[in-house]
Amino acid sequence: MKDFSYSDINREIIGAMAPPGKLYRFVIGFLFLGILIGASCWAYQISQGLGVAGVRHPVVWGTYLVNFVFWVGIAHSGTLISAILFLLRAQWRTAIARSSEAMTVFAVMTAGLFPLIHLGRVWVVYWMIPYPNQRNLWPNFQSPLVFDVIAISTYLIVSILFWYTGLIPDLAAVRDQAKGIRKKLYGLFSLNWTGTHHQWRHYGWAYLLFAALATPLVISVHSVVSWDFALSIVPGWHSTIFAPYFVAGAIHSGLAMVLILLIPLRRIYRFENIITMETLESIAKTIVLTGLIMGYSYGVEFFMAWYSGDEVERYTFLWRTIGYYAPQFWIMLFSNSVAPLFYFFKKVRTNLVSLYIIAILINLGMWFERYVIIVGSVAREFDPYSWTIYTPTWVDYGILIGSFCLFLFLFFLFAKFLPAVSITEVKEELEPPLRRSVG
Amino acid sequence: MPKPALMGIFAYLDDLVQALEVLKRANLDFTVFTPIPRHEIREAVPMKPSPVRYFTLFGGAFGIISGLSLAVFTVLQWKFIVSGKPIIPWIPFVIVAFEFCILLGVLITLTGLLINIRLPRLHLPQYYDPRFSVDRFGVLVRCTEATPEEVSKILTEAGAEEIHKVGI
Repeated sequence: MKDFSYSDINREIIGAMAPPGKLYRFVIGFLFLGILIGASCWAYQISQGLGVAGVRHPVVWGTYLVNFVFWVGIAHSGTLISAILFLLRAQWRTAIARSSEAMTVFAVMTAGLFPLIHLGRVWVVYWMIPYPNQRNLWPNFQSPLVFDVIAISTYLIVSILFWYTGLIPDLAAVRDQAKGIRKKLYGLFSLNWTGTHHQWRHYGWAYLLFAALATPLVISVHSVVSWDFALSIVPGWHSTIFAPYFVAGAIHSGLAMVLILLIPLRRIYRFENIITMETLESIAKTIVLTGLIMGYSYGVEFFMAWYSGDEVERYTFLWRTIGYYAPQFWIMLFSNSVAPLFYFFKKVRTNLVSLYIIAILINLGMWFERYVIIVGSVAREFDPYSWTIYTPTWVDYGILIGSFCLFLFLFFLFAKFLPAVSITEVKEELEPPLRRSVG
Repeated sequence: MPKPALMGIFAYLDDLVQALEVLKRANLDFTVFTPIPRHEIREAVPMKPSPVRYFTLFGGAFGIISGLSLAVFTVLQWKFIVSGKPIIPWIPFVIVAFEFCILLGVLITLTGLLINIRLPRLHLPQYYDPRFSVDRFGVLVRCTEATPEEVSKILTEAGAEEIHKVGI
């Protein structure tokens, strides 16, 4: 990348936004079909009631909540890369920050659908919003579920604005090379940015302040999500380690998702010189760290259950390892804590195939982690007479498929219609054009 | 009546910085166009820190106050004891206040940014060159304290590859 000139960067990145080919249209059509499947399942559920999904007492939080936590988790690494690593001045984030931010936005959008899907009467969802009403009823601001509404809405709005602010100068660059209606549209969305030194001064400050605000936000959001569980008394949920444990898990799965999205993206758009192997390696190294934290957290969870002396808590954790959901538990343990350790080996983390396979395993493992925690805990609660086994129905699976298709559909649209790599930030890493060479 | 101005276009950053030094010494009013923010330009044209940060401070403080006020207002409507906690339980309300702090902090920062950079605008100025978002630097000099010829000489000597007369 060091040999690139400023105009090379514009050409490479804006060049990837060329009109789509047949394969792209086919993939987009296929993903849209998946969205329709999910939407049809949801429509069927709305017409028939929640009974068509697999949730039954006491497992009233099934795959919908699993998906919710999974997608919120996926979102987190985007903010880690764009905000936290920006504040830490980690240069390797530059080429991947934009697509990671996009991933954050789309993952939060997808996650935000699940509490709605899980509602019996989705048409009264606005009751969650505090607004003056005739009966003078208000949301209970002591409830973790209301914390969640506030946190996720804030996260969605902040992620979109942070992403959009970063896009403004790049949209202007696209506008300057576009013609006709595209020029007008990109001009409109770039707010007709001109790049004066006054604009850059205010922009630099605002971006820094956004990063500073987004950093504590990202930590708070998954902590709040974890308190949906930890503030209850359900064995397996009621734990003080949940907030840091969930935040680490979120970043773990999100970084793996970054690899899943970026490895094909850099190949398709020929971004190998911009999103380099060193960048992918840095992500893999960070995954090793989060994987170790996950392994430690799993160990501490079991230790706390044993050390508490609480019979029900001990049983819940024993049941996780040998009960009905034991296969999911062992997949979780292997995928999240053992598989990432292979990234310790340079050969593994510099090989695209192994890098990709382990990233998929981690995401599979993280989905099962949420399944084991959410479903497994309530399926074996205090009262043995209400113990049950939860099995998702075709409606649950349809909506799960729909959510993945929606996420990928939005990401594919982004990669074609917006600069997938930040033109401005990549240029900042290059030597500026100088008549008199330095030194 | 448009005021006379000159737009100098530079291919090299060091040429631009040299021009800026001379323009600054001549006390001329100018605006720099650049594809990316460079510290060399910031050093050549020292500016005060942006007032955007005051918007953030205000937004964050306003967010804390509004979040807390909303939560306190709602519990005071019915005064139920929930989970044996006081009527106004401050600890859970910290979370509400925190989220509102971030939300309004960001919204008002964005508002402050748009006010300060005077965007959005409907049309690009006529003197704007599309190469400014690629690899060229520009300096727009308002010819109020010097004649266009004098300004043109400064820009040419510094190494401008093009100089255009523009009206602003």
